[in-house]
Amino acid sequence: MPPELIYTPDSLLRRPRFLLWTMWRDLLASRELAWRLMVRDISAQYRQAALGIAWAFIPPVAMAVGFTLAKDANVFTVGETDIPYPAFVMFNTALWQTFVDAATGPVQAVIIAKPMLARVNFPREAIILAKLGEVGFNFGIKLVLIVGLFLFFRVPVSWTVILAPVALIHLVLLGTLVGILLAPIGVLYQDVSKSLNMIMGFWLFLTPVIYPVPTEGAFGMLVALNPVAPLLVTTRELATTGVLTEVVSFWVVSGLTLLGLLLTWVGFRIAMPYVVERVTS
Amino acid sequence: MTIRLSTESLTESFMATPESDSQPVISVEGVSKKFCRDLRRSLFYGVKDIAADLTGGRPHSDRLRPQEFWALKDISFQLHRGQAVGLVGSNGAGKSTLLRIISGLIKPDTGRVRVRGRLAPLIALGAGFNPILTGRENIYANMSILGLTTQQIKQRFAEVVEFAEIEEAIDAPVQTYSSGMAARLGFACAIYTEPNILLVDEVLAVGDARFKAKCYRRLYELRQRGVAFILVNHNSQAILNICDQAIYLTRGALVAQGEVNAVVDQYERDLFLNSIERSENRMVFPPKAAEESNGIDFRDLFFRDGDGQPTQTLLTGEPLSLCAVCEAHDSYSGVALDIRIAKVGGIESAGYVLSLRGQNDDAFFQLSPGLSEIRLQMPYLGLAPGVYSAQIRLRKDAVYTFDLVESFRFTVTSQQNVNKCQFYQPRSWSMVPVVPVSAGQLLP
Repeated sequence: MPPELIYTPDSLLRRPRFLLWTMWRDLLASRELAWRLMVRDISAQYRQAALGIAWAFIPPVAMAVGFTLAKDANVFTVGETDIPYPAFVMFNTALWQTFVDAATGPVQAVIIAKPMLARVNFPREAIILAKLGEVGFNFGIKLVLIVGLFLFFRVPVSWTVILAPVALIHLVLLGTLVGILLAPIGVLYQDVSKSLNMIMGFWLFLTPVIYPVPTEGAFGMLVALNPVAPLLVTTRELATTGVLTEVVSFWVVSGLTLLGLLLTWVGFRIAMPYVVERVTS
Repeated sequence: MTIRLSTESLTESFMATPESDSQPVISVEGVSKKFCRDLRRSLFYGVKDIAADLTGGRPHSDRLRPQEFWALKDISFQLHRGQAVGLVGSNGAGKSTLLRIISGLIKPDTGRVRVRGRLAPLIALGAGFNPILTGRENIYANMSILGLTTQQIKQRFAEVVEFAEIEEAIDAPVQTYSSGMAARLGFACAIYTEPNILLVDEVLAVGDARFKAKCYRRLYELRQRGVAFILVNHNSQAILNICDQAIYLTRGALVAQGEVNAVVDQYERDLFLNSIERSENRMVFPPKAAEESNGIDFRDLFFRDGDGQPTQTLLTGEPLSLCAVCEAHDSYSGVALDIRIAKVGGIESAGYVLSLRGQNDDAFFQLSPGLSEIRLQMPYLGLAPGVYSAQIRLRKDAVYTFDLVESFRFTVTSQQNVNKCQFYQPRSWSMVPVVPVSAGQLLP
């Protein structure tokens, strides 16, 4: 017999130990479901696309071609990059896209799962976990492109490349933090999903993806305040030169990300019943 | 407390012990829920509630804010193992909201709900079906959403496919399925999660009559095994068949609860607004004003015996007439009665026993203003003893319905032994001697 479940109007925050215990329990319980949902989403995603998995390669390649042509035509100037420019753009774009996937994924997934959320009481964490798995899967495909790229441009690789996944995971977690924060509100108000693309476009502009980290001026200040920058730059540096330039801000952002993720997770759990009650009848 | 817990875990397989039987599987204690009809304001309240909850709780969740109303108010009831409760009430009475609170999808605004046991919502047919994926893939996804492990799904997979009757289409995308096939697959997935408590919300409206009957049979089997039910259905027939208890909700308030027949009676009385008089095998309706009427109204439904005398005793095998006294407000031609009779209770109760339609028998009548009595004469009453429910319509030309009685219930008894018979067969026995015939001669 499963344990007795009690539903009351009281806030779960008044029973923090119970809350943390149920969070842990649901996280464990949602593993298999998350796997199923991930398999379902990935197979559906590629089944109705003629180009299939190629869709994971096309955006970074298009981006790199475009910016390399523009740079060669001296439309804009960027400082020296420590690896060849096309490789620099393509690698950064792949990382940036992974961040964007992690940030927009939970919002879209929760909106799509609305009918399911309104009818079945399954661990809501499964939706987020499934999306994380999908982000990982898509990055894995991009990795093939990156490896090919590194070989083609003979990019030097340092031994620190084995540490790069750690930084990458922090980058994905930061994206997930943004995603979980926005997901409940995104179900209630369409404004969130409508503005998300715009915000991400602007955010890309503030992130050293097509240019190396600026050090001067107001723009340099803005970029320095962008939490994505140290994570993305550190991931790239670990994978290539091995010379780290933003160690302190990397650890500050990572620490805040982990703490923030736990808090937004609590918020997500508390918010979801209210969201479900408002979206359907 | 600790002792009880440890004994419980030791005797997990002895769930049928009287001790655990006395514990309700669902206990709803003073539950209320408020909703808001204005979408913008409703969303805003949602955000406010989230903010309040995140800062430690909503202090006045028991008070209405502007434009809110109580979708449920102070509902309390208990459900025990093996019990089946029907929820009746008109649209918007709060039935689905109550089910959603019980399944933990939304929080109550006051009161609390306790659930012991694995709960499966049959509100969720085909939740998470992806049209591009095959039936096989969707079974796995759907059943994991309903809380099964991959191992458990593998074990039940064959049964699910067999129940849904989609063997040949299992590897085709679900978007190629007919709506009936998809609905069958959804029902099969949900029913094979093997719950202790089943919440059924209007789902049996899908599929053809044969599959519906199969679903009812399966529900009946589950009940025999001790599964507790909460059933929502507009068709009081289904409630009478499956449930032993009923709860009647009107605009979020609990009007009546208790024995199913009494509650359903009350619901039907209120449904047809006016004070219908129900006595044994008879229904009397008050007159309707001309502007409320659709032309002709039922005033009295009753039976007459072989001598044409009104009777309240219906005997299997005896002559009987079903009589409908109708009041016409104008002259009408082409009026016919349409009668469908279903048996109440038992495993074979899905579907109609009899469907007698005047328009099929060319029994059209000409009614002039005032009262007339239409009689359906049966030389022998073929129905076996039991309780029946008749749906009776007064129609014109097979399209227009003047008046409708959703459920006219009557009881048939018998003086002779018709046990083991599905219906009464009028008969006589005789014996005739056979004259031997020689070979080559033609038989008569």
